Parts: sequence; C-alpha cells; structure tokens
Amino acid sequence: MCDDTAMVPPRSRLRFAAGLLAGAAAAAGAVPDFNREIRPILSENCFACHGQDAARREGKLRLDEREGAVAARDGIAAVVPGRPEESELLRRMLSADPTEVMPPPEAHKTVTPPQREKLRAWIAAGAPYARHWAFVPPQAEPPPAVRLQSWSRQSLDRFVLARLEAEGLGPSPETPPAAWLRRAAFDLTGLPPNPAEIDAFVADVRARGEAAYAAAADRLLASPHFGERQAIEWLDAARYADTHGFNNDSTRTMWRWRDWVIDAFNADLPYDRFITEQLAGDLLPKPTLEQRIATGFGRNHVINSEGGIIDEEYRVEYVADRVRTLSTAWLGLTMECARCHDHKFDPISQKDYYRLAAFFNNVPEFGEDGRVANAVPMLPSPTQAQQRALRDLESRLAEAERAAAAAAERAPQSPAEAAISAAIAAARSKADGLGGCALLESESAGPGVAGGMWRPTADGGTTRIEGSTLDFAGKAGVTVAFWLRPDPENPADVPLLSALNHVGSPADSQYGKGRELRLIDGELELRLSERFPVYAVVVRSEGAGIVPGDWRHVAVSYAGGKSAAAVRMFVDGREVATRTIHDGLPGEPPRRDFLVGADNAPSGRRWRGSFDELQGFARALAADEIRALYAAAAWPAARQARATGNPGARATAWWQDALVAAAPEAAAAWAHRERLAGERFALRRSLPTTMVMAEMAQPRAAHVLRRGQYDAPGEAVDAGVPEALLAPWPAGAPRNRLGLAQWLTQPGHPLTARVVVNRFWAQLFGTGLVKTLEDFGSQSEWPSDPALLDHLATEFVAGGWSTKRFLRAVVLSSAYRQTSAVSPALLARDPENRLLARGPRVRLPAELIRDQALAVSGLLVPELGGPSVFPYQPEKLYEGIVVGANYPGTKWEESAGAGRYRRSLYTFWKRTVPHPAMTTFDAPDREFCTVRRARTNTPLQALALWNEPGYFEAARRLGVRMLQTGGPDDAARAAWGFRVATGRVPRPEETAVLVRSWQALRRDYAADPDGAAKLLQVGAAAPEPGLPAVEQAAAAAVASMLLSLDETITKN
Amino acid sequence: MSCHRYEQRTGRRDFLTRTGLGLGAAALSHLLRGEAFAAPVAGLPGLPHFAPKAKRVICLFQSGGPSHLDLLDEKPLLRTRFNEDLPDSVRQGQRITGMVASQARLALQPSKFDFKPGGTCGTRISDLLPFTRETADELCVIRSVHTEAINHDPAITFFQSGSQLPGRPSMGAWVDYGLGRSNENLPSFVVLVSVNAKRAGQGLLARLWGSGFLPSAHQGVQFRGAGDPVLYLNDPAGMTRERRRTMLDGIADLNRLQHVQSGDPEIETRIAQFEMAYRMQASVPELMDLKGEPAHVLESYGPDVAAPGSFARNCLLARRLAERGVRFVQLYHRDWDHHGGLHEHLPNLARDVDQASAALIRDLKQRGLLDETLVIWGGEFGRTPYAQGDAHRDRYGRDHHGRAFSLWMAGGGIKRGIVHGATDDFGFNVVENPVHIHDLQATILHCLGVDHERLTFRFQGRQYRLTDVHGKVVKAVLA
Repeated sequence: MCDDTAMVPPRSRLRFAAGLLAGAAAAAGAVPDFNREIRPILSENCFACHGQDAARREGKLRLDEREGAVAARDGIAAVVPGRPEESELLRRMLSADPTEVMPPPEAHKTVTPPQREKLRAWIAAGAPYARHWAFVPPQAEPPPAVRLQSWSRQSLDRFVLARLEAEGLGPSPETPPAAWLRRAAFDLTGLPPNPAEIDAFVADVRARGEAAYAAAADRLLASPHFGERQAIEWLDAARYADTHGFNNDSTRTMWRWRDWVIDAFNADLPYDRFITEQLAGDLLPKPTLEQRIATGFGRNHVINSEGGIIDEEYRVEYVADRVRTLSTAWLGLTMECARCHDHKFDPISQKDYYRLAAFFNNVPEFGEDGRVANAVPMLPSPTQAQQRALRDLESRLAEAERAAAAAAERAPQSPAEAAISAAIAAARSKADGLGGCALLESESAGPGVAGGMWRPTADGGTTRIEGSTLDFAGKAGVTVAFWLRPDPENPADVPLLSALNHVGSPADSQYGKGRELRLIDGELELRLSERFPVYAVVVRSEGAGIVPGDWRHVAVSYAGGKSAAAVRMFVDGREVATRTIHDGLPGEPPRRDFLVGADNAPSGRRWRGSFDELQGFARALAADEIRALYAAAAWPAARQARATGNPGARATAWWQDALVAAAPEAAAAWAHRERLAGERFALRRSLPTTMVMAEMAQPRAAHVLRRGQYDAPGEAVDAGVPEALLAPWPAGAPRNRLGLAQWLTQPGHPLTARVVVNRFWAQLFGTGLVKTLEDFGSQSEWPSDPALLDHLATEFVAGGWSTKRFLRAVVLSSAYRQTSAVSPALLARDPENRLLARGPRVRLPAELIRDQALAVSGLLVPELGGPSVFPYQPEKLYEGIVVGANYPGTKWEESAGAGRYRRSLYTFWKRTVPHPAMTTFDAPDREFCTVRRARTNTPLQALALWNEPGYFEAARRLGVRMLQTGGPDDAARAAWGFRVATGRVPRPEETAVLVRSWQALRRDYAADPDGAAKLLQVGAAAPEPGLPAVEQAAAAAVASMLLSLDETITKN
Repeated sequence: MSCHRYEQRTGRRDFLTRTGLGLGAAALSHLLRGEAFAAPVAGLPGLPHFAPKAKRVICLFQSGGPSHLDLLDEKPLLRTRFNEDLPDSVRQGQRITGMVASQARLALQPSKFDFKPGGTCGTRISDLLPFTRETADELCVIRSVHTEAINHDPAITFFQSGSQLPGRPSMGAWVDYGLGRSNENLPSFVVLVSVNAKRAGQGLLARLWGSGFLPSAHQGVQFRGAGDPVLYLNDPAGMTRERRRTMLDGIADLNRLQHVQSGDPEIETRIAQFEMAYRMQASVPELMDLKGEPAHVLESYGPDVAAPGSFARNCLLARRLAERGVRFVQLYHRDWDHHGGLHEHLPNLARDVDQASAALIRDLKQRGLLDETLVIWGGEFGRTPYAQGDAHRDRYGRDHHGRAFSLWMAGGGIKRGIVHGATDDFGFNVVENPVHIHDLQATILHCLGVDHERLTFRFQGRQYRLTDVHGKVVKAVLA
C-alpha cells in the first residue's frame, strides 16, 4: 500500500488548494507539498502505467510508492533524491525523442513547464512522499486565530474567516433576515416561508436578535418537512425509484423504504445508525420491522427481467452495484475501477474489490426477476397506520377468542341429538349448494371412515384431473377442497396436485410453467407459475400442522388476478396464516391436467397417503362455505367415532366444533371470532411489500472475477475491507454486513464522516469543500479548505452524528448568513465561491422548484409518505418508448385529487422515462448512485416553467390569491405576489415592471374574453367563481411570470 | 458551481430582437436558418481535431436486432445445409442466450428471402429492401460488425454509449459536448422515435439519448410525433405569441434588475435561455410543418410520411434537421426482435423503413447534403444462423447474435458502393476485417473531425471517452 517511509508528517494543516486563486501560488523556493502539488501531477500523468496496477505496469517501474521511484535499476533511478539532474523521471519528461518522452505521445497527456519545475524542486528537496490526505483520519484542531473577532458565531466561522483573512479578503455583509429565512427554509424543509412567517420572524429578530434565528432554525428542524427535504439528495445516492429499470422497467414497491428515510431524518437518527440500519438492519439483534425495511437500500439497484438473460451475469451486476453505491456514497472512492483490474490511481487492488463485494454476495436473489412486481427477497411492510390497525385487530381477536372459548365451555356437552343433527344438516345443505364438482370417486359418508378413499396405485400409474375442472384463470377464481391423510412414509416435500412443468432447466422457455399444490413439511404451498420460481405466485401456509396418520380437511381458494393476496388456505374449516414467497406472476400459465399426488419431475417424489372428497369450485369460496364443506363430513364422522368409545384427539376436536355450532350462544361467539380473524387475514394479505436484504444460510463462495467477468472466477476471497489503506477491522466485529457497518462508522475512519459532511455542505453552499463529492481518492481535487472539512467531520462525529445539530450549526453560522450579492471584483477572483466570501446563490433542485410553485399557489397537499403519486405528465410521453407489454408501470394514470399536488419526491419515478419536469431541471434517472447533480440553465427549463400544466395551474391559483388577498390595486397585488414568490418586498421599479405587464395583459385579455376563458382551463382546478375571467387570466399570466423569475427558482 | 450553459453569450442581440415585437416574415425565415442568424455556439477548444468530412450524423437505429442473414448478409450454405446442426467448430463455445440454452439442438436456418445485386457496385441485398438496394452505390455495407452483449438493454446501451451499463453519455451527447451547436434556434442533438402501436417491441430508455456524467444540457431532445413536438413547447390555448412576448419582456426586465442587485452571471444566461425558448416556439413548429415540401419529395418517402411519428416522417424530419445544421439526429424504430415469426414480421419491418431510408439518402444527395452528412443504419446485434425452436423453410425465428452482424453507412467521409468485412459461411463468426462497436464509434467521430482518444471528460478522477480505452478508426471505409 501507499507507504509513508516519507519524512514529512502526513500532511501540513491549513494549506490551501494551490492554483485555486491567482495569488496563492507557492512562494518560489518553497518545497512543494507532495499531496497538494506533486501527487496530482504524478497521478494524472504517470500512475496509469506506473501505479499500483501490477498487470499494467510498464517497465516494472512504480511511482506511487517512494521505494519504487527511487530504486536504481541498471544504475538508473526514476527519482534520485536531492539530484534532479540525475533523475530519469525529469530527463524523460524533457526528452525530444518520441520513443523516449514521457508521458508517451499516445497518452495525450502533457506535463507543463511549471509542473516540471515543481517536480524538480520536490526532488531537490529529497522527494518526500506522504499518504494521500483523505486516507489519514481527520484530527480535531482548535479553530484558528482571526483578526475580526466579532464576526464568528459558530466555530466553523473561525476557519472560514481565517481563510479569508489569509487571502486578504473580508466576508460579505449579512443578508437581511427575510432572505436568511427563505434560504434556511429551503435548505431545511424545502418549502418557502409564507409572508406571515416572514413577518413574524422579522419582528422576532427586532425583538430578540440572535435568539430569533436560533428559534427559527429549531422550528424548521422540527418540521416534518425536514425529513422530506433531506431525503431528496439521499434518494439520488441510494438510487431509489419506483420501477426496476432496464427495458421492461415495470413497477416495484419501495416507498416504505423511502418513508423510512424521511422518518429517519425527522427522528434525527444518528448518521452512524442511518448507515448501519441501511447496510445491515436485518443483522442487528432482534431487528425491528423498520430496521429490516431500511435494508431496502441494498436492493434499490436496477433489476433486469429481460427474457433470456444469463442469470448469474446480472446477479453479479447487482453485487457490483452495491459496492459502487457504498463506495460512492460513504467512502467517496471509485472502487468500481478495481472491478476489472487493480485501481490505477488509488492503492486498491482487484482483490480488495472482491473482498468488499463478498459482503453483498450472499443475498438469496435472482439475476432475472421483477418482471411485474417486487423481486425476492421481500418483506410485508405495513405502514404505521396498518401496524396500528393490525395491533387493534389482534387485540380484538384475542378478546373474541377468549369469549368464544368461554362460550364453548358453557355449551352443553351432551346436547339433544336434534341440535347436533340440525347443525350437521345445515352444514350439509350449505355444502351441497355450493355447486362443487367431484374430481375423484369418493365415499360420501365421511373422511376415510368406510373405505372408498383414493390412494396411489401400487404400479405407480398416475391419476389425472382435467385442467378445465380447476380453472385458475377463471374470472371468479377457484377453490379446491379435499380430505387428506399422509402415510408415515410420505416425503417431506410432495406434490398433492400438480400441473407444473418440472422438466428441463430454468433456461428453458417451457420450464416451470403451470400450477401446483404441494405439502412441504406439513405446510401447504400453492404455486401459480409462468417460470418457477421468480415469475410466479408462491404462497405457503404457516401453522397448517398436517401430520402423518391424521385426516384433515384442506381448502385453498384463489380469487384470481395473478396476485398472492388472492390466495387463502383453510385446514379443518379454519383459515390459516400464509406467507408470500413470490408474487410476480406476469401472465396466465398454460392449462394442463393436474396429476394427483404426483408431478412430472424426473426425481419422481410421490404422495404416500389418502385423499377423499376432492372437489373443485369455479369461484373463491367464502370462509363460512369452506367451513360447511368441512363440517358436513367431519361432524358425522366425529359422531360415529364417539360411538366407538375411542374417538381420538382429532375426532374429539371436530366434535367440539359441532357442539359449538349446536349451541346458539357459542355459535354466535364463534362467528364473531371468525369475522375478526377473517379481517385480520385480509389485512395481512393486503400489506405492501418491500424488497430487503437477507443472508443465505450457506454463503456463496466469493472469487476475484477476472476482467470483472461473471464467468471467469479466479482466486477465492473472504469478505474484508482495505484495512491498511483506511481503517482496521473493529475488534470482535462479525464478518458480515453488520461488521462492515461497524468498520465504516468507527470514529477513526478517515472517509465516512468527511464524505457525509461534505455532501451536506454542498447541499447548503452549492459546492462541496471537496468539489468531487463522489471522489476523495488521489485523483480528486484538493479540498478548498482541508482544515474546515476536518473540523466539520470531527464535530459531526463528536456531536453524535446528529444531522440536525450539524445543519443547525451551519445555517446559524456567519458564513451562511452572508449576502450572496457579489461584486465584479470578487466574482472575478472567486467565480465559484470556493472561499465563501459571500453567501450561496444557486438554482433550486428540480423537486423544490415545483414544490415551491405548489406551496405559493396554495395547491400543495403537504401529506407525508405513502405510495408514489402521478401528477400531470404529458400525454403519450411513453409512446414509442416503453416496452410493448402490459406490465405495471407502462401506463401513466394520472392521480385524481391530492395526488396531483403532493411534494415532488413522491412523484412516481420511472427510471427509463423519468418525469420530464424533474429531468429538465437536472434530476438524474436514478439508474445508479448519483451524489452530485449538474445545475444547467437551458431553454427547455423555460418551456417547462411556462407550460407544464402543473406550473401553469399553480400560476392560475397564485393569480387568484393575488386578486383576493393581495391588496386594493395592481401595485399592491403585484407586490404581494412578488413577495410570496421571492420572499422579499419588491423595489418600486420592480413593482412598476409587474404593473406595466399586468395592465398590458389585462387590456389584451379584455379584447379577447374567449382567450381568457380558455387560459383558465389549464389544470384540474376550476376557475375561481365570482372573479371575471379576464381578471383571472391576466393575473395568471403575471403569476406565471413570477414563478419563472430567476430569483424565484433560486436559493438566494 | 457546476453551471453549464447552452451558450455563453450575454444575449445582447436577443434584447435587440425582442424589441421588434413579433418578428416579421423575413426575419423569421432568417431565423430558421441558424447559420444566418448568429455565430455557432462553440464546443471545446481545439475541436474539431482535424478537418471533418461530415458536419453531422443521422443514425437510423433499428432496435431489436434486425436479422443480417435475411437482409444484408446472404448465406447460400445455410440453404444447402438446412436443418443440420450448427457445427461446434463454428460455435466455438460461444455463449448463447437463456432462451435457446436448453434447446436440444441448434438447427441451421436459411433465409426464405432472395438476395440480388444492387447498383453498379453489385452489393447483394435482400428482396426485403428493394429501395435500399437501388441506392447500393451510395452505401458502405459492413458485414463484420460485432458487439459484446447478447441482450437488448446492454447491447443497445453499448451501441449508443460505448458501455453496456448505464451511466455513460450517449454518442449524440458526446458530439454536442465536443463540437457544440451550429443552430441557435434548435438543440444540436435531436431524437425521433417511431410511434407505431403495431410495432412496440423492446422498451427504449431515455438514457440512450442521455448525457450520462456530462452536463445534462447535452442530452438529446426528443421531437415528438404526437402532442407538443418538444415537451411543453406549445403555449396553452388563450396564450398568444404577443402575450408570451409581453410576459417574457417583463421577466427579462425583472431578471435584469435582479442581476444589478446580485451580480450573478447565471441570471444573464437565464435571460438568454428564455429568449432561445421563445425562438424555439417558432422554429420547431416550422421544422415539423411539411407544407413547403414538394409532392414528389413527400412521395419519395412513401405513403407513411403522412403519419406523424412514422419512420418515414421522421426520416424527412431528419433531412430538415440536417438542413438546419442540427449536429446529431437519432432515429429509433422498434420491433426487430424476431425470435419467432420472423418470416411474417420481418417483411413488415422492412417495409416500414426501406423506402424512407433510401429516400433520405437520395434527398440528401439531391440537396448536396449527403457529402457532409453521415448516415448510419443498423441495430444493436444480428440474429443467429440457427433457428430458435425448430428450423423450417418458410416459418422460423432467430435468436440474438452479437458475434457478427451487418449495418450500412453512407455519406460524409465514407466510401460509396463498397462492402467491408465478411462473416463465415454460416454468418456466425467474422472472418475478415472485424469492426467492433467501439471501432464504429471511433469511425463516426473521425468523420466528424474528432479523435476519439482525445474527446474526453474527467469524471470520478478518470478521463472517460466514448470508446472507453478501445476503438480503432476503420480506415478502409473512409473516403
């Protein structure tokens, strides 16, 4: 690894980026700092061939380590410390011979004369190496001394100011309170303050001064919209979307994970926990539902469902995506480079890469999955409200259970024969009326009591049931019911009824098509499958308790619709819980005959036992109907068994059921219990699922993949991290994702906290202290202020990784409170505001531009969380683009009502065709981890602001508000609207522009009332009754101007 | 700040033009010829690297994998060895898709369509492409293209961006980034997608014309056959051109006042971009309006040209875009994915595109634009010489095949009337002059005067380029 046999301390503090400013060039004669000045030259020009990638190393020379650079071979050394003139490195850089010169001409790289001078000075000074700054843990340093003592409000201000003073600059004046409030509101909640809030704040500042700022910051931090605002950037990094990506790109359900993120920020979940729960929530001791949902982070990657792909190729791709996301979002490293070869610039070997990948290699997943629904593994994920409803139902059910048991005890144990007979007759009459179709010759007197049951033939011949008699594709669904009794030698996993093709391999187009019901370890499992197992509905009972030697009545009903929620299972007339294993059936499998007690698998496991009264029904029977089927046979059988004097436990249980049915009070209590149980099962079946991480019981073997190829495994590797480079593995940490999270969040980790605070900084100031938010490696730009970065990182960790505490300190800082106005001189000196001699002024992110329009127009529905919504989207946007199959997510069905007006982070995110109002303003497509959005300025943005129906509808409503509440005349109304949009009172000349435009537009619409009426048809909101159309149209046009202003769409 | 712009000018000229409310007809026609209106917007300094042969590219992309064996690469041997097994010596252990991996055998499948020589050069082309065959003397048919992926999404992403995985800029975005814009009133990278309910097929992805890690201003702008020709271009009913002008003047005045206060140069750019949006509201509808096209031109593209969103209409629009200096025009036509029923579907697809593709070549030539416009026709891969399922003389399907396939190029910088490269007698392997997708991309850039090794963008500490670290210009096809 990168050595520091070097003679200098890891790095000198408080050195600033060279070349950032004209005046900052190193003084002549000074020793160039290796990290700041020399490494970038070597890295850019030399390391690709003379770096740490042994496979590509030319001439066996490596320059990324001092040892290699100074080693003499044949009397020649690339670097001879203290003797630049003898150093081959410089000689080759100066050579005029194209076969000799370095870098070689085909590299298209040039070392400039000033760079050569630096190298010369560095070699002359002994060629000291140092570790790359980002791989050395940040140290807490006391804030530097400053001259302008009164300026600083937060410790970070001392760093900013010291830097400015060193540059001979002063800070800008403070921005007015109203401007600060708007800026902070966008950064903390993503929504602008309204005029009343601004007035209150300005008054509070007059009254209380500084305390008013702190109070306002606390109010914003406590807003539930805080979590929404902070989630936006994280959703990009975590590549959250509502579809799977690739060319089928159908819907997935991950919004429970998105809501977890919002909740986590709102609860100020410490950031180390935020990392841990997303990486390894499932591996925490006794994980909560929320902690398991958090691991959806590891599943947000794209998933391919294109037919015919090679499964392993894509499974490997998903593992790689997790490595890429982890390394970009938390390590700020381009680990991806080491997937195919050793990293050329950073000391990360290909083996390091695959050791890290091994942590993510044990997910029980498939390469091809997710054609119509979530991909496994997944988890039922009730919302908080659903959890409350479930808890409530469960307590009521327990109560009803107790009442039913008590009533059953009170029921007469020897009732009149007539009462029992009546109960049996009622059950039989109901059962007979169900229109069942007997599928096997059976004995009518009861389960197996007097012969006539079906058993497999001794010669192994199979019995078939015609497929049409159990039509799972039927509209009304289907029910199959029967009695069964396994023999003791019945296999643990055995077909009961099977029309599923087990022949061939998963690659075969006919493989795994069909339907079957199996008995697996005493549980029922229904499979409806186009390609087993992923494109299938697979539902298994929980607690059926079917054991050898015991007759049980089994019924499985299916209400149709290719959904696991449509499957219900019953044993002895009682519904049993079920678990959904797969829920992704794209279409109806072909109809085949069912084999009874057998399937077509070559292995040929066969049912050993008896069936009786096998019946099919062409609809999903109700619970009471299924109970009647059971009772009609079980109760007479129980009566008969009792007559023998030794009925056994099962028949006694049936008899108890009969006694309850015969006693009106007990029967009523039972019915109540049944209703609640049914409600609970129905709610459980309806719960949304979320894709989550899980570990296979038997981990997959991990290998280095040669050239990164899925089918070229090389050396076997264990799970591990680049310890020597970054940080040691924590003592006692498990070798799994949980241990990985512990490694990442240890206080001494050189990267995690730096990377995170840098991202927050960029969110607030527009640019990170390290501009390349995604890359802190040796090719990254030197931080604009390393001391400030380290201060922020160490404070963040010392403050318990509290996001709110961190952001509070920044928004209350003097640096943040500067005006963003810039003089030409300062602009020329520091166009990107890296020195922070002024406040931030940056265009708002896509989501916030739209959210603001909704907020200022009064249309915003500020509800938190829930399924994604479908606001206006251009018709036919998908035409010619989306897949020509009717998968979910291939049509945009506009939400009615509130769904049109929710915050933009809830807009349905289709990866292959994201909403144009988002992408036009630089939102990424979320196909992979992105931590830095571009900020472009294009004509398409103007068109969206003018004509996107949501924006124009917002303008219409803002226009109405201006007319109704803005004041008595155009000037007052224009000024009011301007203030709502920009957060500031307009200057007279600005009001004058608006009034002039308004009057021109009013005159124009007055001459064209039809045009005015038409304009008011944009969007779903009705024109305001009682206001003349001409007035509304002119006001809408003025409001549209306000929503399009540069100042409006800018955080200023 | 990482602010990127369509243009860097202050927009002074725009302020002047806007004062003449509602441009006159003369000014309008002027405005529509971008080069006459304003200096082009520069790309990167130093580009083009050398004198370009082509000023622009029109890529007629056939999505789904058109069968080279039934269109451009005739294989008589398949006829004589009908239904025999693909020899292992030919397959050479090459991986095949999951769709046929478990097929008991790979039975050789001849084409049911005849080939004939076209033009004086005699390039043999299938009967399914009679119009294309007539223009054979303009074409350079490459029969030795090969790619790496065997499934649609990665293969088409590879063709368009040089990488199988998402995240890289598309070819058009690279060109826009490198060479800049040559028309003030239109974007320089325009995408036209065929809209045809009967030809849905594989999903396309916005990333195919995305900008990847390049600034998003370089992404392709889709011109649509239905609805607004550019998203949100049309003002709503009740919003006239004059009213828009009034509003835009007010916005510009307010933005200028804000600029005085804040000093942020982004505001000047914003003013200029709003003016360009206003101009696009005129220039795009004019582009899409075919009223001025003579009847014989319309007819030459075939009857489909009447249908907005058809491939034929899009070909004609591509010519109109080329005339206006648009740098990269990307067409997509879907549904070439004929695993089964190729015998039935392929003729329909060929009919969709054949006449218009040939008409585009002729039309460009007639206007003297072909010499400076590079036209490319092809898909993400070809199809297998063995049948998917059973082989039949008359009804069959073929699986994906990336080892060898064909496409054609024509126009600026490319030799006319030649065939480059060859496959073996089965059409399975390339045996002569292989052209990798990266080679193709290097060649396209070369025609535009760009050295593919020197058009780079630094991202995540690395210099990226369209051709990754590969690609050789195919000198043999250069004129």
